[in-house]
Amino acid sequence: MHVSFSTSELTRLDETTWEIPRTGEMKVPARVFADPELLAAIAGDRSLEQLVNVATLPGVVEAALAMPDIHQGYGFPVGGVAATALPDGVVSPGGVGYDINCGVRLLVLPLTDAELGGRRESLVHELSRAIPSGAGKHGPLGLSPRELDEVLVAGPSALLERGLCHEEDLERTESSGCLPGADPAMVSERAHLRGAGQLGTLGAGNHFIELQRVGELFDAAAARAYGLSEGGLTVLIHSGSRGLGHQVCTDYVRRMDSIGDRYGIVLPDRQLACAPASSPEGQAYLAAMAAAANFAFANRQAMAAAVRGAVSRVLGRRAADETRQVYDVAHNVAKVEQHGGREVLVHRKGATRAFPAGSADIPSVYRPVGQPVFIPGSMGTASFVLVGDDGSMQRSFGTTCHGAGRALSRTAAKRRIAGSDLRRQLEARGIVVRCPSNQGLAEEAPLAYKDVERVVEVVERAGLARRVARLLPIGVVKG
Amino acid sequence: MYRFVEHTAELELELEAPTEAALFEEAFRVLAELTSGDAQGAAVHHELELEGEDHALLLVDWLHELLFLAEVEELVPETVVSLELAGGGLRATVGGRRGHPRHLVKAVTLTGLQLRLEGGIWHARLVLDV
Repeated sequence: MHVSFSTSELTRLDETTWEIPRTGEMKVPARVFADPELLAAIAGDRSLEQLVNVATLPGVVEAALAMPDIHQGYGFPVGGVAATALPDGVVSPGGVGYDINCGVRLLVLPLTDAELGGRRESLVHELSRAIPSGAGKHGPLGLSPRELDEVLVAGPSALLERGLCHEEDLERTESSGCLPGADPAMVSERAHLRGAGQLGTLGAGNHFIELQRVGELFDAAAARAYGLSEGGLTVLIHSGSRGLGHQVCTDYVRRMDSIGDRYGIVLPDRQLACAPASSPEGQAYLAAMAAAANFAFANRQAMAAAVRGAVSRVLGRRAADETRQVYDVAHNVAKVEQHGGREVLVHRKGATRAFPAGSADIPSVYRPVGQPVFIPGSMGTASFVLVGDDGSMQRSFGTTCHGAGRALSRTAAKRRIAGSDLRRQLEARGIVVRCPSNQGLAEEAPLAYKDVERVVEVVERAGLARRVARLLPIGVVKG
Repeated sequence: MYRFVEHTAELELELEAPTEAALFEEAFRVLAELTSGDAQGAAVHHELELEGEDHALLLVDWLHELLFLAEVEELVPETVVSLELAGGGLRATVGGRRGHPRHLVKAVTLTGLQLRLEGGIWHARLVLDV
């Protein structure tokens, strides 16, 4: 296998699509959505090598795909998409990743930034107090083993009786917040132990909560459907399945690593360990993955409830009651879908489903315009709301990018900027920062990421998703 | 001895030691540094027994065991009291304090996993998910 790729080795198919032709053990070509500048950045790490490795998976169809925010990960690159033909194409836990159903949820508040005025800092402070951050923090919800299993099976709807979830929230969550087939019995005792205390917690790393002002609108009809208006306020929550999801992935990567011979599977990277989706091991993983995904939906639901609580304390009960959920989307998951007239298992690792108008798989309220997609920028830069476009179904298994994508390692980012300097820069721009660690702040500095404006421009030009609104950060809470 | 190799998103780690057991201890020290945190609680010891013929995977399991103890038992790891490696597995006692470890590392991946003896020195390579 190649260790690194020169951009000259890729064939340009059109304005935004490059291809690495099928060679060697590749079963399909590898395709990258990018522009020349992003492609040059992408070729700077091992993400294309990892994408080529994905193209060797048994049962993979059409092409291994990379979104413009692709960067080097482990096994799959982050920003990688692969569909395997069912029933016997493989499922790869590493193709979903450790943070199963890491994703984002957007809430819209019933007031403008101007109306919030001087209460901005109070609101951000209250958000930071309401939601435990840091990787191992214990959450506000003490779940018994039975209650945890209910969450694993049902997702956020298990929180309805606790008053932490509105019916409308469920309607406005990908897959209604519940992947079918979840089986707590397929989730190890260790995963249960890790997850038991973590529901409603943010975690560390690149997870965050951001208070935003809606800036420019690009698509008035979609913005109206999503409840977004210029000057309005939104809260974006980025988190996942916490230790429970990490343990599920750990357990099943190890299990599948040990059974490759049984299925005659030879892989270029052990982290791609996989099994036929129809096999007992494949079925067990899919049941455990669904449970972890449901836990992640519920985790963001519990944090949304905490956001409403913070809004209530700072802005009043009515503002909290009128805080609406726009949508909640998964970034790391494998889903059974129909594409090209066949049933496939779409692995999205650091990528977002982006179904267009008319899709039966999106909430009826959004069917006339298309599915909302949220693309967080880096800390201190804009984020974007997009809408799924028709091209996604033709070109990317209904998928678009999930963020700006890292360009620099954490070490390199810390060499370039001190966390304390970044904190001052953000605060000088009026952004309220609540992050206990300067080091953690520096690791997520804007200079560590690709230009999100360029990334969303590429997915728009590629026909995968269209811009709806730009969201400007005014407060950041980080673990 | 250890060093971090440039990786866009995760932590890629190279380790060297004169013996295989010393390499496992060095891996422990790296993880202890990465998880160091508030350790005001009681001193604790944990005895670990892991099985496995493939010692590269055993190294991964060793670190996962420590991550699990940090997250669930709130162990801030400090020392390897004893460590024995045999063909079929590992037996160790680790010490530390209860507290609030940093949970920077989420998992130990199998990407690029290596453990080898070369020129009389043990080498390992790991990618940690952070």
